[in-house]
Amino acid sequence: MGKRQARVRRPASAATTATLAPPETSAAAPVRLERLDEVRWRIPRDPTLMMRVDGLVFADDRLMAALRDDPALTQVANVATLPGIVGASLAMPDVHWGYGFPVGGVAATRVEDGVVSPGGIGFDINCGVRLLRTDLTAEELRPHLARLADALFAAVPSGVGARLGRRLRPAELDAVMTEGAAWAVRHGRGTPDDLERTEEGGRLAGAEPALVSARARERGADQLGTLGSGNHFLEVQVVDRIDHPEAAAVFGLAVGMVTIMIHCGSRGLGHQVCTDQLAVMDRAVHRYGIRLPDRQLACAPLESDEGRAYLRAMAAAANFAWANRQMIADAVRGAFARTLGRPAEALGIRQVYDLSHNIAKLEEHEVDGRRIRVCVHRKGATRAFPAGHPAVPEPYRGVGQPVLIPGDMGRQSFVCVGAPGSMVASFGSSAHGAGRNLSRHAAIRALRGVDIAAELAARGIEVRAERRDLLAEEASLAYKDVEAVVETAERAGLARSVARLRPLAVVKG
Amino acid sequence: MAGSGLTGTTVPRGHRILPHTADAGIAADGPTLEALFEEAAAAIAELSADVEAPEPSEAGEAPGRHVRRSVELSAPDLVGLAFAWLNECIGLVDVVGAIVGCRVFAVDVRSGEARLRASVDLAPFDGVRIRRRADVKSATYHGLAVEPVPGGWRLTAYLDL
Repeated sequence: MGKRQARVRRPASAATTATLAPPETSAAAPVRLERLDEVRWRIPRDPTLMMRVDGLVFADDRLMAALRDDPALTQVANVATLPGIVGASLAMPDVHWGYGFPVGGVAATRVEDGVVSPGGIGFDINCGVRLLRTDLTAEELRPHLARLADALFAAVPSGVGARLGRRLRPAELDAVMTEGAAWAVRHGRGTPDDLERTEEGGRLAGAEPALVSARARERGADQLGTLGSGNHFLEVQVVDRIDHPEAAAVFGLAVGMVTIMIHCGSRGLGHQVCTDQLAVMDRAVHRYGIRLPDRQLACAPLESDEGRAYLRAMAAAANFAWANRQMIADAVRGAFARTLGRPAEALGIRQVYDLSHNIAKLEEHEVDGRRIRVCVHRKGATRAFPAGHPAVPEPYRGVGQPVLIPGDMGRQSFVCVGAPGSMVASFGSSAHGAGRNLSRHAAIRALRGVDIAAELAARGIEVRAERRDLLAEEASLAYKDVEAVVETAERAGLARSVARLRPLAVVKG
Repeated sequence: MAGSGLTGTTVPRGHRILPHTADAGIAADGPTLEALFEEAAAAIAELSADVEAPEPSEAGEAPGRHVRRSVELSAPDLVGLAFAWLNECIGLVDVVGAIVGCRVFAVDVRSGEARLRASVDLAPFDGVRIRRRADVKSATYHGLAVEPVPGGWRLTAYLDL
């Protein structure tokens, strides 16, 4: 080769030097907003912005005050340009700036002539949440909490670069991507009851592992059963308030009860699938004559080779994520059993639900008086089907689908239930969490010198993290108030609060 | 490919990390596209790893346990090539190790196609001297720009962490 490799220079001091304003997208001016009621705002369809439908934002005054200058609203308008979009381009109450689609964006496109856009699912395909309930009370657990936190931290690889001890063989990885959570159950890492209480039974049909690249496989082969980093976490909680007694009873929740919440996704495998498919779509856009205001909205017709390939690859990655959460849940059960000296069954550890908040689903919805097949993109948004819907697990069909809404580390999370109006209001969708309002850098700056772990410990919350210095990125200050998000979702008829959960211990990814 | 601009003026090469609501942005500068893409890789390296290791030898050979990977990429245009390059770097960090050296031999842009040839030196993570700093999911098309500036080129990109 002969020539000296360019050396990678390391700075002598911290690298952050400037704050870059969010890049402009299609709207050079702020989008127009019309208030419809206390929690709904319309972005009128503007043909000059190539919008095909209105935008619709679910936000109360508090949430909208933070959104006014957020480019997320422009992104809602941009999503409204997608071919085949029906209804409106929706923004859930926790919406914030994302890539192409805002985080908290929902868009339904007609299957017959609409597109699928990988950015409408996100890089972390099937990032989602699983909730387990127990027969333990917080008082019973308190003497064991520190040891339990240690056991969970040891049992579930977390943090930057979390890895398993071994790599899955190619045939194993294929099976994981095909079978999803059922693969783990088949290997003794869970029960059929877990699958019944998981969206899609923990397995999206139509997965085609052959469409997953070698690089994606390489990234994911030693990551099954790991939490990852960023805002992913494993949290031991206590139910401290019941808002919907009937649904709480059906879900198996009661005040004082210990619960466990797991938030993670498809790890490097899913991230790479999205990256690979975006590049394919980037070329396809020109072939199909699709004009877009933002390149990150790259898409292809659902009824095209590229569109079908994306859905099959996405399903493979989604199944990996469900297997991942199943493995982690099993590790959690084991940690509880070892710490408390009793089997998980004796502790009453049982799954409440597992749902995705980054996924595309082919569903039937009523649009303009007709029932049609659509592809519902939910990015940072959850399905929230009401009572009676056949996709809701049979034990819950009388009350509706559980909706799991984690808040931020240290404050509160919510269990909700899909509301009767969600199908009409939002294609059966709701918010997925609190949503950020401070960048990671801004949060670290604001909390410089503050020992987050010590502050949480002073409130009785055990924290375990690979990098305690990064805890500030995920501190409460960096996030919107999840209670405001839930209240808005209720008032908009998307979901209804069932129970509030407060943290006892957090394993931070 | 040399940059445009005022006679005798070249852009000093460099890179920096930029804040973003949830993730990170990077900016890179270079007098040529080759230098620009090297600086972009250096930004990914800085964001993704902490390295305390000896510099590569003067002969240019990857020392010790370093791994050298050859890279050839193509894309419909220069922005697409930047997307491919940044994501190749991100993928290599995830599966091999920290980027400790990089040479972009050629960036060719013609109508309808852009190509790149490079080699990347990587040091496997040992958790002691070579440690992961951040998990980078992907570089995005969102705000991705490769633009001529007086004396060279500038790249701006946003990364999903």
